[in-house]
Amino acid sequence: MTSVLAHLLLVDDEQQILRALKPALAAAGYAVATAETGHEAMAYLAGEACDVVILDLGLPDMDGKAVISRIREWSETPILVLSARDLEHEKIAALDLGADDFINKPFAVGELLARIRAALRGRERRFSTHAVFKSGDLEVNFATRRVALQGYEVRLTPREYDLLKTLARYGGRVVTHRQLIAAVWGPTAQVDAQFVRVLVAQLRQKIEEEPSTPRILLTEPGVGYRLTPEDEA
Amino acid sequence: MARQWTMRRVTPLRGIWRYAAAFALVVGSTLVAEAVYRTFETDRLSMVFLAGVLITAVTLGSGPAYFAAATAFIIYDIYLVEPRFTFTMNSAEDYLVLSVFLAVAMLTGRLAGRVREAQGRAEARARTAGALFRASEEFSSSDNEDAVRQALAQRIAEAGRGEAVVLHEGGSWSWPPDLVIPEVLTDIAARPAAAQREGGWRLRHLRADGVALGLAAWRVTPLDGRAADNPEDDERLVDVLVDMAGAAIARSRLAVERADMQARAQTEQLRNALLSSISHDLRTPLAAILASVTSLREFGDRFDAEVREDLTLTIQEEAERLNRFVANLLNMTKLESGALTFEGVPFGMAEVVGRVVQRVQRRAGARELVISMFPDDLAAQGDPILTEQALANVVENAVRFAPNGGRIEISGRSEDGRVVLDITDEGPGVPQADLPRIFEKFYRSSATSTNQQGTGLGLSITRGLVEAMGGAVVARARGDGRPGLVVSVILPGVLV
Repeated sequence: MTSVLAHLLLVDDEQQILRALKPALAAAGYAVATAETGHEAMAYLAGEACDVVILDLGLPDMDGKAVISRIREWSETPILVLSARDLEHEKIAALDLGADDFINKPFAVGELLARIRAALRGRERRFSTHAVFKSGDLEVNFATRRVALQGYEVRLTPREYDLLKTLARYGGRVVTHRQLIAAVWGPTAQVDAQFVRVLVAQLRQKIEEEPSTPRILLTEPGVGYRLTPEDEA
Repeated sequence: MARQWTMRRVTPLRGIWRYAAAFALVVGSTLVAEAVYRTFETDRLSMVFLAGVLITAVTLGSGPAYFAAATAFIIYDIYLVEPRFTFTMNSAEDYLVLSVFLAVAMLTGRLAGRVREAQGRAEARARTAGALFRASEEFSSSDNEDAVRQALAQRIAEAGRGEAVVLHEGGSWSWPPDLVIPEVLTDIAARPAAAQREGGWRLRHLRADGVALGLAAWRVTPLDGRAADNPEDDERLVDVLVDMAGAAIARSRLAVERADMQARAQTEQLRNALLSSISHDLRTPLAAILASVTSLREFGDRFDAEVREDLTLTIQEEAERLNRFVANLLNMTKLESGALTFEGVPFGMAEVVGRVVQRVQRRAGARELVISMFPDDLAAQGDPILTEQALANVVENAVRFAPNGGRIEISGRSEDGRVVLDITDEGPGVPQADLPRIFEKFYRSSATSTNQQGTGLGLSITRGLVEAMGGAVVARARGDGRPGLVVSVILPGVLV
C-alpha cells in the first residue's frame, strides 16, 4: 500500500484503544491522526484535511455530542461515533446532531473498517449520482425505479420502494426511524416508529431469503436500520 | 390555656350577689348623702342617689339597676324628703324623682349591657383567633401526623373547656393525657358513620381529600360545671380546628411520600451511575482486547514484530485490568455480604508496596511513583493479598487524579505498634468538608469530570478491606500548602 486511501482522525481518551486500533487502520491503508480530547480534535480539524472522524462519546473535557455539533457548524466531514450498545438515546442524539454512523463498543476491526468505507462512500455519493445500488443479489436502479433480486424483478409498493431507496442512498450507513419517517411519509408526518417496523417487515418478505434472519436489511436496535453495503453482502 | 382565658377576664358576679352589690351601692350613696347633708346642710341630694343608680347600671347590668333605682327612691323618700322618716308618695316631685331614677337605670343598664356584650364578643373573637393561630402553628410544626392528632386533642379540649380525644386506626390521643377513653367512642371510630353526638360526646370526623384520618370527640367536663358562654362559637372553633388538623395531616403525608420518592429516585440514580460506570469499566478493556485480536487476525502477516508485540501486550494488560476489576467487584460483594474471611499473618510491607508500584506503574504514564522513607523491616498483621488490593486502589486513585508528570509518594512508618502508610498525590485534592466522604461507595469528587472513568468503588473497597483487617483509612489535605491529597492506610503491626 503506497498511496493513502483516506485521512482519519481517531478521537478517544483511552490510550489502549488508540494503541489497538492504529496499526490495523494503518495496515488497511489509512493515515491515522489521534486526539484524546474534544478540544484537541477540533483544533486538529481546523488545520488539517480529514476524511472521516472516529469519535468516542465519552471524552474527558467535553461531551462527545457537543463535539459533533461544534464540528457540524463548519464541517461536513463524516463522523463515526463509538458508543456502548445500551445507550440508544445517546446514539440517536449523536445522529440527530449530524453524526453519520455509529459502531457499538466493543467491535471487531473488520466491522470498523466496513463502517469507515461506508462513511467514505456516503461522502462520495453527495458529489456523484450513482444510478444503481447493489448489495449481493439485490439491485436497485434509481433511474428506472426497478428493484431486482438475482436478476428477477421484485414488485414493491411505492412506500416500500421509498424505504428501500432511502436506505440504499445511505449506502450501508444507519438511518434512524425519524429519518425514515421523514423520507417515506414526508417531513411533517406524525407517524409512529411502529409503522416503520411494519413496512420493514413487508419489505423483508420480498427481498430477504429468510425474513426472520435478515442479511440485507439489518436492524440497529433502538436506533433504526441499515442496508448491508454493496461490496460486503 | 382555658384557665388563663377565664383568669384574664374580670370574674363577673353571679345571681343574688349582683343585687347585694346593688344594695351596697345604694347604702354607700346614702352614707355619702348623709355626710354631704351634715357638712353643707343641703337637702338637694337626689343627684347623689342618681349617681349610685348610674354606677350600678354600668357595672352590674339592668336588673340590679332597676332594683337600685327602686331602693334608692325609697331610701331617698324616707330619709330626705320632708316629712323625714316617713314614706310619702303625694307630691309631683316624688313621682318625678322616681321616674328619673328608673329611666336612668333602664337607659344606662341597656347601654352598659350592649357595651359588655360587644366586649365579650370581641374577646371571644380574639380568643378564637388566638386559639386558631396557635393551633395552626402547632399543626404545621408537627413533624408527623400523630403529633398533629395529639395537638388537635389538646386544642379541642381547651376550646371546649373540657376533655377531648382523637381516635384513628386503634390509636388514641387524648387531652388531658390520662383521660380514660370510653369504649363507645372506640366503637364509633371503627365505623364510618358520621354521627354528631354520642352520649355526652360531640363527634367530628377528620378528613382530607375524601380520606378518613380519624375521629375527634369532646365534651365539656362535668367537674367544670358551668356551661360555656356560647357553645355554638366553641363548636364552630372545633370544626375549624378539625379541618385544619385534617389538612395538616394530609400535608405531612404528602411530605412523607415526597421524601420516599426522593429517596427512591436517589437510589435509582446511584444504581444507574454504578451500572453505567461498571459497563464502561468492563467495556473499555474488552474493546481494546477485541480490537487488538481482530487486528492481529486480519493483518497479522502485514504487521512487523514490534506492532504484533505491542498488540499482544495490550491484550495481556487489558485482560489483567479486567481481572482486577472483577476481583474488586467480587471483594465489594463479599464485603457487603460479610463473606470475606482471611487469616491474619505477619507479612513484610515493603514487598507488598513494591508489587503495588510495579502493578500500577505501567498505567501511570508520565506520572512518577516514588517509595520514600520506607523501613525495609516494616511488617504488618493481616492478609498480604487483600492489603495489596487495598493499597493498589489508593495508588490507582492517586494516579487517576494526578496531572501528567505528577509525583505520587508512598511512605511507611511504625507508630504506636501500628503500621502507617501515607500515599501522597499532587492531584486537585478534595474539599475539606468532603474528606470523610471519599471512602463512601460511589462518592466521586466534584473535581471529577462527569466523563472521567472510575466507579467510585475503589476507595470504599479499600476501607472495607482495611477495616476487615482491623485497620483504618484516613484522608487529609497535604500539609505543605500545595494541592493534593494524603491517604493514610493504618494496619495492625506485628505482635511481638
